[in-house]
Amino acid sequence: MEADQHLVERIRRQEPEAWNDLIARYEGRLQAYISRRLTNRSAVEDIVQETFIGFLNSLPNYDGRRPLESYLFSISSNKLTDHLRRENRRPTIVPAAASSNHSEWQHAGNQRAASSIVRSDERRTIEEHALRDALKKQVEYWRERDDWLKIQCMELIIVRGWPNKQTAGELGVSQQKVASVKHEFIKALTRSVRSRGLPEEVFPELYETG
Amino acid sequence: MTSHYSSSEIEAFLDEALDADKMAAIESSLREDKELLGQVAEVISRRDAGIHSLGEIWRRHRVSCPSREDLGSYLLEVLPGPQQLYLRFHLETVGCRMCQANLEDLQLQQAGGDQGRQARRKRYFESSAGYLRRDD
Repeated sequence: MEADQHLVERIRRQEPEAWNDLIARYEGRLQAYISRRLTNRSAVEDIVQETFIGFLNSLPNYDGRRPLESYLFSISSNKLTDHLRRENRRPTIVPAAASSNHSEWQHAGNQRAASSIVRSDERRTIEEHALRDALKKQVEYWRERDDWLKIQCMELIIVRGWPNKQTAGELGVSQQKVASVKHEFIKALTRSVRSRGLPEEVFPELYETG
Repeated sequence: MTSHYSSSEIEAFLDEALDADKMAAIESSLREDKELLGQVAEVISRRDAGIHSLGEIWRRHRVSCPSREDLGSYLLEVLPGPQQLYLRFHLETVGCRMCQANLEDLQLQQAGGDQGRQARRKRYFESSAGYLRRDD
């Protein structure tokens, strides 16, 4: 992380060697990321190239605290999506509420419209970072204790969106065990959100499953 | 037709973060599955409304992703057993695209099998260095 921050500082000072170093450090993984979706070698290289140019164009707005690798992957993902749309592999989908009104969208089971709380982008970022920190803290806590099963359990539930039964089957544990891990996890996150005085409405999953 | 995808998977699809096979499967289904189209549209609306999703934040901030050093150790099979198993789970069962890409890159480096790498880097540098000078 520190090495990346230093590299970015040197790029901001327009040092060509630093830019060359960044390309050398990241092009392989970006190439691999895009290659999994495209077989045309030339198209893959075009997207990696667009990613690097996109990075330089966005450099004045890049927050150096954000991990560089994730940032480059996100630029790459956008460039890849644009390419797939042009190739008619990805449809352009109109948001469900477009015909009505986004501001009235409500999450199932949540009676108040989340967006009834007017929030700036900055506020949303604060909320997101608060939840990110809480998630990292919990996963780190389990990691330090070699509690890999709990991390696996929550990855399947949260990241894959699997139900408890399917998660239990995959991990070879009881559904009660899965429910217990989930309860511990949601409780820790909810506590964290409440302690920071964040609006509960914008984290509906915590209150529906908690 | 009933969609088989969770909201988390749809979010990952929109972010190009799902395993490549699953990405292709969803793309294919979207051509004829109206329910899936509706599901994707709803996820987009929810995002537009500023609703946070745990899965989205977990993925975006790579909460459980191993470091590149750990991926290198995984490749060499020198991690403690439980951690080695966990990394395999993260790569194969969760299907983390960013970690898969890192692993593939490390594998190629280890095997020394990417002959075009130097020429490619030179091309990337030459095509982008002009943008470096424009930025101040």
